[in-house]
Amino acid sequence: MADNIKRTNTITHPRYGCAIGAVFSVAAIPGAVPIANCGPGCVGKQAGIITTASQGTVYPAAGNIPSVNLGENEVVFGGAKKLDTLVKSTLKIMKGDLFVILTGCSGELVGDDVDSVVRKYRNKGYNIVNASTAGFKGNNLYGHEQISIAIIDQFVGDFKGRKRKKLVNLWFETPYFDPFWRGDYSEIKRVLEGAGFEVNILFGSLSKGSESWKNIPKAAFNLLISPWVGLKTVKHLEKKYGQKYLHIPVIPIGEEATTEFLRKVVEFAGIEKSKSENFIKEEAKQYYDFIEHFSAFFSQYWFGLPSKFAVVGDSTYNTALTKFLSDQLGLVPLKNIITDNPPEKYRESIRDVYHNLTEDGLSVEPDFETDGYWIEKQLKETDFGTEIGVIFGSSWEKQLAKDKGLTLIETSAPSANEVVLNRSYVGYRGALTLIEKVYTAAMGSR
Amino acid sequence: MSTRKINLSMSECSNREMRLGTITSWDGSASELLKASDYEDRSAKKTDKCCGKRGRACQLCELNMPFSQETTCAHAMVACQIGNLTDCILVEHSPIGCSAQQHGLNVSMNIGLARRHKQPQTISILSTNLLENDMVFGASNKLRQTIRDAYYRYSPKAIFISMACSTAIIGEDIDSIADELQNELGIEVIPLHCEGFRSKHWSTGFDISQHGILRSIVEKNPKKKQKDLINIVQLWGTDYFSDILKPLGLRVNYLVDMASYDELKQASEALATTTFCHTLGSYMATALEEHFGVPQINAPQPYGIAATDEWLRAIAKVAGKEDIVEEYIESEHRRIQPELDALREKLKGLYGFVMTGSAYAHGLTSVLKELGVGVDGSIVFHHDPVYDSGNENQNTLKFLVDNYGDIPYFTVSKTQPFQLPAILKRSKADFVIIRHGGLATIAAKLGIPSLAMGDESIPIGYDGIIRTGKIILNIIARKRFDRILARHTELGYTDWWLSQEDPFILARHPELLDEENKSVIHTEKENKAVIHTENKAEGVKEVG
Repeated sequence: MADNIKRTNTITHPRYGCAIGAVFSVAAIPGAVPIANCGPGCVGKQAGIITTASQGTVYPAAGNIPSVNLGENEVVFGGAKKLDTLVKSTLKIMKGDLFVILTGCSGELVGDDVDSVVRKYRNKGYNIVNASTAGFKGNNLYGHEQISIAIIDQFVGDFKGRKRKKLVNLWFETPYFDPFWRGDYSEIKRVLEGAGFEVNILFGSLSKGSESWKNIPKAAFNLLISPWVGLKTVKHLEKKYGQKYLHIPVIPIGEEATTEFLRKVVEFAGIEKSKSENFIKEEAKQYYDFIEHFSAFFSQYWFGLPSKFAVVGDSTYNTALTKFLSDQLGLVPLKNIITDNPPEKYRESIRDVYHNLTEDGLSVEPDFETDGYWIEKQLKETDFGTEIGVIFGSSWEKQLAKDKGLTLIETSAPSANEVVLNRSYVGYRGALTLIEKVYTAAMGSR
Repeated sequence: MSTRKINLSMSECSNREMRLGTITSWDGSASELLKASDYEDRSAKKTDKCCGKRGRACQLCELNMPFSQETTCAHAMVACQIGNLTDCILVEHSPIGCSAQQHGLNVSMNIGLARRHKQPQTISILSTNLLENDMVFGASNKLRQTIRDAYYRYSPKAIFISMACSTAIIGEDIDSIADELQNELGIEVIPLHCEGFRSKHWSTGFDISQHGILRSIVEKNPKKKQKDLINIVQLWGTDYFSDILKPLGLRVNYLVDMASYDELKQASEALATTTFCHTLGSYMATALEEHFGVPQINAPQPYGIAATDEWLRAIAKVAGKEDIVEEYIESEHRRIQPELDALREKLKGLYGFVMTGSAYAHGLTSVLKELGVGVDGSIVFHHDPVYDSGNENQNTLKFLVDNYGDIPYFTVSKTQPFQLPAILKRSKADFVIIRHGGLATIAAKLGIPSLAMGDESIPIGYDGIIRTGKIILNIIARKRFDRILARHTELGYTDWWLSQEDPFILARHPELLDEENKSVIHTEKENKAVIHTENKAEGVKEVG
């Protein structure tokens, strides 16, 4: 029987949705309204995994997303007419200034001519975009880039003006899917502004919506903070607008990483350094005051603190957490399982992060797994020792953590046991919150 | 045979709109809907109240809206039924997105297991994880592989396969593969034709799940009869039925969620079948009656005093406990009366608004009325003009109207939040009761708090009236939160739409869509769209 258990196409306990899940990326752009050209259940199902950690969504999401709810009639006779009626009524009912049609599996397989519907309304003066997001083409991270590029090509369009030296476009975590994205965007914006930049935010309440998107070509460069999601987008922008990009593969957490990050961005932009250095100095002073206080607890708490940890989650948070926890807190990484299925061409550079974790050369080998069966099997077989062990993962690890007596901290989708509003684990301030979370959870688990 | 309503010989289950004439879009009073439904004649297939649509189905006439918002589908209902069996595995034959709601089902399953005093377990639904090439070249080998994975990894008692939109469109033959793998593995492999585009209402997914269980798992030739066992078609709710039915000497056998293979199998050995909701339970109960000789309880659902009385009497009749039932009923009345009186006093003057699945909404509304809460409107997500049983005593809408009076604004609408501003504007609702997502957030922005009835068992029976009343008191206090929300947030819809009083205006006047569209380009300075909230957002009624 053991011979029959092997790695196959099967996925259980999924940790991502499909491309149509990008409706939530569109909904994260203020003023933008997604129009789902797919079956009746598709959007709701994606909400189950993408709008994770009880973040909630708001209009035009939160159950309000216009959807063709493709039925038998459309499958047999085509769905373009129903889509046309839906678009027409959406424009009348849904307040918004940018409308994005996302076509799912059924629409793509039936082969409806979505472009002609889009053209009709674009000719009438509406801002309307068409994105191909069939679930069989890729996961929600793929979908996120599909809608980004579609909006750039079909709405932002050509640009011939001058670029602004201090304006930078921020390409960062995937809205909703990264549970702490709202807080994290806020912290990264804060530190970049502190260092002297104007930050063009494209998703979330800090964005000016379609205006921010129109401003993309005016920025001096694109800043991508992510292991791989967004690379296609910034490369596309480089080609389209001759706009260079700076790729920071690991999200900075903690003073040292954030300071290094800011210096890198300032250097890349070629702006003057006195403002950023003053900012860094002040942030560091605050940061180490907290760390010094924390050290009094950290170094002499004699009932035991966590030492070993595993991270199971998407590459974005997996890389950043592993780096900070091992390099800055001295926790020992036992297992790093990357679950967001990065395309093969990006995996080597992701592995590199784990090969150079700490300044004294700690190197571990990450695993890429998408099937929960194998993820959980690997964790089951990991020896966490006798001290408090911590798993940074998703709700899928809940029972396993309980069975093994481990502390679970949910940092990745799907997360059913966290309520996240503006919490952030990145930058200067987020690092402090993360330390609070780790040690509060560990003590609470006793 | 010919009089049987449910056909178990085919692997596909006939859609609700075809079997029952189900609709999803209608507006009027409850009594008008009752009349249009023509339950008795429809049951006898004699009604002339048809819209003359395709096939032999006699569909109720409905409003055709040009606009629609995300809902859910039959495929999702199969996952929430079959996926929650404790020792069977569901294989979803589709791209990964069709399985994206799994962890939510894991949460409800584990809460359900705890409520039924069963061991916790992590849900295992397997996806074939189809990609673009599979759409071009077919995906049968992946399905075979995933079925084998399910078998070798988990040793299940049975494996179900669910069809999705994409696999149905490319023509995957899940029936043949099920047969093939059943022979290979020696356990039941059961195909479910639940692709999302198949039926216009998700509740067909309940029927499809039950259809598969009835065809393949329920014992066809039971060797014994369990005279003290009663089937209850239920979701994840707390087990109150055991306590209610114990005095009649009965044990409960819950179907389908969190049931084991053996619990499903023994359904044909039971004395009778009943349910908390005919929307969910009628197909199963009727098929068990017609094909397995297990009678269904011919009574309204157990909500409110009058219905619970009748339901208990009907069960006692089948169980041969007619001698003790009247005394039981009377003692229960006496027991709850003081608490019920106190609650009625506290809830006096309040209005409630129910938006849930169809038959369950009828029951919930009865409970509200029993508590003295006013109900002037409600939304049901679909309407079955008749249930599979065709049983007159199961006409839940009739029972509601006859016993508790008419409801002037009775809307059939499939989780369409955009209609809510207009719908709630014409109601005096102080709170809403919901079970599905997307609606409560609109109510909240209008200053109306919501009771999310996650445990569907709460309102059941005599104690259910008391439980519901107590929860409402807690919910009303949350109005303080919603009042603030209403002050500081917007609904988001266009001013034109928010100025409409008829939630179905576009069905009655589609030409409005062709008028010059002025409300599309919006600025941040535009008036706040909270025009409907003035009365509702101010003042928290102090109760309790």
